[in-house]
Amino acid sequence: MTEQVVLRVASHPKYLSVVRAVAVLTAELYGLCRQDVEDIRSAIDEACSNVIRHAYKGDTQRQIVIGFRCLEDSFEVTIEDDAPKTSLSDLKQRNLDEVRVGGLGLHIIKKVFDSIAYDETKQGGNRLILVRTIRRSNES
Amino acid sequence: MKVDLIDNNGVTVVSPSGEIDMYSSPELRKQLLTLIKKKTSTIIIALHDVTYIDSSGIATFVEALKRMMPYKGKLKIAEVPESIMRIFNFSKLDKVFEMYESVDDAIKG
Repeated sequence: MTEQVVLRVASHPKYLSVVRAVAVLTAELYGLCRQDVEDIRSAIDEACSNVIRHAYKGDTQRQIVIGFRCLEDSFEVTIEDDAPKTSLSDLKQRNLDEVRVGGLGLHIIKKVFDSIAYDETKQGGNRLILVRTIRRSNES
Repeated sequence: MKVDLIDNNGVTVVSPSGEIDMYSSPELRKQLLTLIKKKTSTIIIALHDVTYIDSSGIATFVEALKRMMPYKGKLKIAEVPESIMRIFNFSKLDKVFEMYESVDDAIKG
């Protein structure tokens, strides 16, 4: 069985700092380089913020389950919620040349992760799967 | 996150510290909107003690900038740590905001 770290938090923004801390510690534990650790922290924070803001529409009493695991050459993060089904086309991002409030989070997620997909086989709720190819700290 | 405000002859220096995220950015937004309501002519946001900022923090600055435009107020960003500067560069907002190395430079600029 592949080892993994699983974190379950309420959908309250006050727990985002906990999510970030666990993301950093796990990425460091798996030997990712410092810059990648920081990028992953940002992207996971944005993805969980999106769940709270858009999937749960600000309801702070739901739950988010974040899973981290290290595969041979990649770092995989899953983010699960029990909100109505979402697809990648539902996620909004702004043109970076526009100066406006909002729409930056998805750009950050896409910049950091090589692969972003929803698990279509999940029954009820959503499972966002984010995969990043690993550059280990001793390679940077 | 904590926010310190210092008024200096009509220029207000806003110094948040700690992490700015979806949880803490509403407090920063409230402080900025209070200053904007008073039509503060120049607001300098000093970021030297900020250890993390997410897109909601950046959105707070964009909103403040837009709300200051009608009365020709100036919003300046100063003392940006390297890790925070990356998100300004990535979002191309380093070209939108007036960015300064130091608060003194921002006051003079």
